[in-house]
Amino acid sequence: MDAFLNQAFAGLSMASILLMVALGLAIIYGAMGVINLAHGEFVMLGAYSAWLLQTSLGLGILVALPIVFLMVALVGLLVERGVVRWLYHRPLDTILATWGVAILLQQLVRSVIGSESRYVAGPTILDGNLVLGGVVMSNYRIFLIFFSLAVVAATWFLLKRSEFGTKLRAVIQNKEISECYGIRADRVYALAFAYGAGLAGMAGALITPLVSVTPSMGTYLVVDAFLVVIVGGVGSLLGTVAAAGMVGEATAMFSMLMNDTIGRIAVLLAIIFLIRFKPMGLFPDKVRR
Amino acid sequence: MLEARDLYSFYGKSPVLQGVNFKAGKGELFSILGRNGVGKTTLLKSIMGLTDGIKGTLRLKEESIGDLPTPERARRRIGYIPQGRAIIPRFTVKENILMGAFGREDGRREMPEGVLELFPILKEFMNRRGGDLSGGQQQQLAIARALALGPEVLLLDEPTEGIQPNIVQQIEEVIVHLNKKMGITILLVEQNIPFARRVSDKFIVLDKGRVAVAGSAEDLTDDVAHEFLAF
Repeated sequence: MDAFLNQAFAGLSMASILLMVALGLAIIYGAMGVINLAHGEFVMLGAYSAWLLQTSLGLGILVALPIVFLMVALVGLLVERGVVRWLYHRPLDTILATWGVAILLQQLVRSVIGSESRYVAGPTILDGNLVLGGVVMSNYRIFLIFFSLAVVAATWFLLKRSEFGTKLRAVIQNKEISECYGIRADRVYALAFAYGAGLAGMAGALITPLVSVTPSMGTYLVVDAFLVVIVGGVGSLLGTVAAAGMVGEATAMFSMLMNDTIGRIAVLLAIIFLIRFKPMGLFPDKVRR
Repeated sequence: MLEARDLYSFYGKSPVLQGVNFKAGKGELFSILGRNGVGKTTLLKSIMGLTDGIKGTLRLKEESIGDLPTPERARRRIGYIPQGRAIIPRFTVKENILMGAFGREDGRREMPEGVLELFPILKEFMNRRGGDLSGGQQQQLAIARALALGPEVLLLDEPTEGIQPNIVQQIEEVIVHLNKKMGITILLVEQNIPFARRVSDKFIVLDKGRVAVAGSAEDLTDDVAHEFLAF
């Protein structure tokens, strides 16, 4: 029973990282229709930014978070302005182009920083564990769970309550009429893309104490993040949260019951099964048109 | 107020408008008439910069606007109410109206004055989704949204098309009110000739992308209607 609960907790903390990666994707893919294969590289850049800030300036992860967010958001902005914005009506070309960007970023990091694994120390303030019966929960992982929920709340507020979010939702639903009412759609898209990239960067920084930092670390995460967006239902924040929890937990549980590889196959099968019966995801957004 | 000289407008490489001239004065109700497919909607879209490109001059208050991107034209207080109304389906009625104010230069994001008196039904439905309203209600909403912009010019594309008859008259009264009482210059694309004749100061009839007839309301005779407008 304790082993089960420990695994469930580990799954939950993985889910919270996944959630932050998937939120950015949910905005970029779900809202703007861009399949951004470079999203995993934004995670990777976030991780390297955290490493760089720690080794060169001695900044802890928590202090570095806002800086990492801005750094990766800037990279996202450049990718959008330089590549993606020319391809909004050409989804297949976007896949290829962003894949190219992904390879480019990976190789750039390999050439400049090197391909060996890097390690980042977790924040000392969050050292230690919370022990409840037989369940050992590291404080850092508990922090991750709450932080990711805070990020969801902030994103919800940004999308539903701020003027920027209203403009983004308007542009998503009808770009032409939005422009007819003074909304500069290209600017809105660029900022949304940058925000999604920034979230991925933060997720990358936060995952550094748990995994080693390598140039290809994002690839694995981005696949799961896409799964989350698809399972959750495009355009639904609640769906993204629920799906991140499910994918994270399912991965943890299947891995415990079988092994990592078989567990992974089981998760994919489960998702295929789910999509067969709920093709629009768990929480599709329905409206009369 | 708003004028076009030798205006060509393109979809891809095909010119849909071919040398259109018109001039709508301040406070005028200016009708654009003609059969289906002669370029009426394209003319309004060209004013908003929604076609693939134009040649010729397009001027608002003596300023050339032909090269401006669409949002900049909106900021010069042109309110556009397209065919099909283009309500944002997932926005509430309130969000739909306030969206119109994004084009305001003064940064005010308020419910436009008098709109809820003009359209009491919108007050009732303030928190419903725009996509759940009927066609007539959506048309009222589209006009309300345009008013939130504080427009000097309104472009109305067949505002009574596909709307239940009891609301048609109400919308026609509102159009007259906006023009005569509030002094907003209106460009009206219309199929309903008696209505256009009754309320227009001036009109043009388009035929195959060109102006076939232009004049003031009394020039819109039955002969003109028969030649260019009957089906």
